[in-house]
Amino acid sequence: MRLTLPLAILFALNSCFAQKTETFGLGHVGNVSVTASSNSPNGIKTLTLDGFLPNHNSASRFLSQATLGPRPAEIENVTVIGEEAWMNQQLALPNSFSTEAYIRSIAQQVADTLNLQDPNREEPYTVENLNLNHDYFDIAWFQGSMTSPDRLRWRMAFALSEIFVASRISSFDNNPYALASYYDVLLEHSLGNYRDLLEAVTFHPTMAVYLTYMNNHAEGIVGGNHVFPDENYAREVMQLFSIGLFELNTDGTEKQDVNGNPIPTYDNDDIGGLAKVFTGLSWHNSDYLGDNTSNEQAYTHPLKFFPIDSSDAYRRPWRSEPDIVDGHDRGPKTFLGQTIPARDPSLGLQDFQDAIDVIFNHPNVGPFICKQLIQRMVTSNPSPSYVQRVAEVFNNNGSGVRGDFKAVLQAILLDREARVIEERNERYSGMLREPFVRYTNLVNALNLTSSIGVYRNDMDEVYEQMGQRPLQSPSVFNFFQTSYTPDGELAEQGKVAPEFQILNSITLTGYLNALAEWLIDNDPIDYYWYGGDTVYKEDEVPEFDFSGDYLFASNKNLPILLDKYNMLLAHGSISETNINHIKTAIEAMPDIYDSNGEIDEIDARRRVALTLFLIMSSPEYIINR
Amino acid sequence: MNRRDFIRNVGCGAMGSTTLLSTLANLGVVNGAMANKSFHNAPPDDYKAIVCVLLAGGMDSYNMLIPNGTGSGGDNGFANYQTVRGGLALQDVNALHNLNILEHVGVRGVTNAYDSFAVHTQMPELQQLFDAGNLAFMSNIGTLVEPLANEADYDNDLKKKPLGIYSHSDQIQQWQTSVPQSRDSLGFGGRIADLLHAGNDNVNLSMNISLGGKNIFQRGKEVSEYAIRNNINANNVGFEGLPGGWSNSGYMTQLRNQAVDNLVAETYRNALHTAYGVNTQSSIAAFETFKKALLKVPSFTTSFPQTGLAEDLFAVSRVMSIRNELGVKRQIFFVTYGGWDMHDNLIASLNGRLPVVSQALKAFYDSTVELGIADKVTTITISDFGRTLTSNGTGTQQGSDHAWGGNSIVMGGSVNGRKIYGGYPQMEIETNARNISNRGNFIPAVSTDELYAELALWYGVSPSDLCYALPNIGNFYSYSAGNYPLGLMNMSGGISTVDQPQNCLTY
Repeated sequence: MRLTLPLAILFALNSCFAQKTETFGLGHVGNVSVTASSNSPNGIKTLTLDGFLPNHNSASRFLSQATLGPRPAEIENVTVIGEEAWMNQQLALPNSFSTEAYIRSIAQQVADTLNLQDPNREEPYTVENLNLNHDYFDIAWFQGSMTSPDRLRWRMAFALSEIFVASRISSFDNNPYALASYYDVLLEHSLGNYRDLLEAVTFHPTMAVYLTYMNNHAEGIVGGNHVFPDENYAREVMQLFSIGLFELNTDGTEKQDVNGNPIPTYDNDDIGGLAKVFTGLSWHNSDYLGDNTSNEQAYTHPLKFFPIDSSDAYRRPWRSEPDIVDGHDRGPKTFLGQTIPARDPSLGLQDFQDAIDVIFNHPNVGPFICKQLIQRMVTSNPSPSYVQRVAEVFNNNGSGVRGDFKAVLQAILLDREARVIEERNERYSGMLREPFVRYTNLVNALNLTSSIGVYRNDMDEVYEQMGQRPLQSPSVFNFFQTSYTPDGELAEQGKVAPEFQILNSITLTGYLNALAEWLIDNDPIDYYWYGGDTVYKEDEVPEFDFSGDYLFASNKNLPILLDKYNMLLAHGSISETNINHIKTAIEAMPDIYDSNGEIDEIDARRRVALTLFLIMSSPEYIINR
Repeated sequence: MNRRDFIRNVGCGAMGSTTLLSTLANLGVVNGAMANKSFHNAPPDDYKAIVCVLLAGGMDSYNMLIPNGTGSGGDNGFANYQTVRGGLALQDVNALHNLNILEHVGVRGVTNAYDSFAVHTQMPELQQLFDAGNLAFMSNIGTLVEPLANEADYDNDLKKKPLGIYSHSDQIQQWQTSVPQSRDSLGFGGRIADLLHAGNDNVNLSMNISLGGKNIFQRGKEVSEYAIRNNINANNVGFEGLPGGWSNSGYMTQLRNQAVDNLVAETYRNALHTAYGVNTQSSIAAFETFKKALLKVPSFTTSFPQTGLAEDLFAVSRVMSIRNELGVKRQIFFVTYGGWDMHDNLIASLNGRLPVVSQALKAFYDSTVELGIADKVTTITISDFGRTLTSNGTGTQQGSDHAWGGNSIVMGGSVNGRKIYGGYPQMEIETNARNISNRGNFIPAVSTDELYAELALWYGVSPSDLCYALPNIGNFYSYSAGNYPLGLMNMSGGISTVDQPQNCLTY
């Protein structure tokens, strides 16, 4: 940590505001007390045309929603330019990182070392012939998340990866390219349009394998078997990626029939109708529908469309009249109250476009997708009016465009319900921070820095202890389901808390034990050996630098340390009572000064580490609100 | 007073009456006094456990339990099997492990279509358990809301059917809830725990222990699972201490834990804070109890294979071995073993996975014998669904697709073994009235409700509480003295007449 002293003093002065439950920052919030929003020793801070600039806690809170973990300099920046300006800057940033390209660059290094070891090898190693493990994706992901300036995009992509779920717990379980190429699609469209994303996902081999429509076939007799289109994707694309099970009002609440029951959006006939659309797709390099000879890297190319199935000609080349049958279904396809007309299979790609349009234009998509995005970033139980405000922007960004994620993100993150916790919402506001996001919080708040700008981290500890890592959910139903609610008051009140589904005795103690490894042992990175002759590079495995905090670890200065990390990690939400619980424990440790009055760095580091451990153990940190 | 004394005094004062252990002890007293002690007067050896093994993905169980008649006595099952399964069929009937069947037990008028059965070549241990009378099979069992006799019933809109037949997410959930008309139901294991958990002496520790993390099976209204890992031992339960090199490391570890305790025990105005605090407190309480008890785990002579499933089941045995230290008389365990969604390469994949199941179950059964509780532990296998009889491809690529009814295992000393309960389907696509597609998808002959009701009655659920444990049971079974859903379990210990306060559930 290299925070300057004046800033730290500012936090100390700010400590008296630590218990405030209202968070300020956006100008168009009415009835707020200006003095309370200020953290300046001089009282009122800057007032701009469109409102108040956020204080450090407000900025930290905003960034805890808009990024995978605020960094000190970013917080400073937001206090200076405000949330809207930060959003505008972020939305203008191009996609800056490709996990696939990064994996290829590592593969090239590994191939080079292997070829150096064995220069006479008949067939030299290349990026193309090297098989890599899935950990390379995690390394690329971490590298991208630590070095990319487009941090809002990275936050959004992670949220989308929990809606458009594809997971390595599948037949591509050890293929980094399948994961990387898919994640790159999410990154690419995170600040784009929902419809483009839905189309890109539909034509991505990773999804086709995950939800088993790779080589999916029109209904017909193949090899003596009557085959039917696989219904897997048709079902999940509606249930999970677009409209959900029940008809929704724009505010996300369920519509009801005359008997007060929810109205299903589709039935098995709709699934059967839609399933016919998703037929005739195979690998980019397939010779025929049903060809399965692809390699690891075939996952990085969009699917290829085969109107007919000529597999018999390839598989039984000796036959003079091979069976040539439809690959793509030619019949009409009825679903969601609309019918795609019968078409010759050669025109089948139009069926995909039509089907994606039908789904995209269903009125459920806005509330269904927007509510989940709010839940991933801001709060588990948004008010219907909040969902409505965002869904209306999804339906029309103001320029007549539907599905514009940039506008949706602005609507989510700048909404008054995101920026201000009102008294009446206090009891159910906020969300359990996902275990994985707690980890990214930590490395960002503590400015984990590689001196060479390269990290080698497969993030194994966070998965081993808490079961979460990008693209590694147990099923298409994500790590947790949006409808999950823990027993007790939340369930009784009809509230949800999805992330609680992965909170159990293992992940709970696993979290504290992981915190101990990261902080107490100062071991925040899980090094992965690339193989070949690549050597251990210490620079790729940075530790936290606590030295800038040693001075504040003394009993006398402890309030400064606590305020600083209360702000950085928990945006000042940890109450004075709990700060005192932490203080009591730390004060029982040997103070930082040795008998000569010099700072004992070991004692000081231990104090800082344990302070951070306890802040991150506090329910007020764990629940982000 | 030197600095160290000062610290110690402050520390002890701060810990005072709010230490974790004293809090726990107090809770125990309060709950103990208030609890409904349905087993309070029961003998100390009154212990029963249900172990649910979820074979996630939809096991092709028509290659686990195989008709192997070869024509004598009119039972030509193996030829039927080979014809319909084509490239998915095992080829050598003599390599199968023939079962010495005592009886075929039909259900609601449906019986097995064949007399002679065998298990897959890779499952000799199942044959041993079966022939010794400690294992039974359920044939063509699956999710049902009410009985469906044939395709006409299936097509009848007035008959209630499971949601999302053939869908993994629905069927895997419905096997755990036995409420297939709902996507929002508690689990069967959770509901029987709701009924019976108060009877355990130590109600701080969940009676539902999971080796598979959070799951629906064990989720009740009042009880949900306590998750452990299979390498559990006294040293790795709970928080790791601070490094030994720290000054006063043990003491500082206590202080740290105290601080965590204090943080989660605070009163919060926000319900999510509270929910997190409560979760953390109960986890901490449970692992403290666990930690002590685990010191008493005996060494086992039974050796378990080194597979994930066997290691999970070994952990179950170790936890059962300390049931008295844990203060529990009823426990439900949940284990998962996935990878069964074999749309292709089915023959080889089954050769890889079936022996894991067979060997692990045998070792587990042997360990319950070693613990002297073989007749107190009943193990069932469940899976998303059965799979289509016919194949979806050619060569080594071929596999089977999602279907409905399948076959499952029930194992334990109280199982009336050497029997096959249910209605193993005639392996013909055209003529079988329960077949509902040209792929060979069978309407289940037995419902999960009937299996679970039998288990529940054996386990100590009273007949009048069955409607809480199994909301649809009335569609299949109503209790009268001596009349059980299947006759699967040895009920010689009698059944409970103690009714719990829960009302019937309806969906």
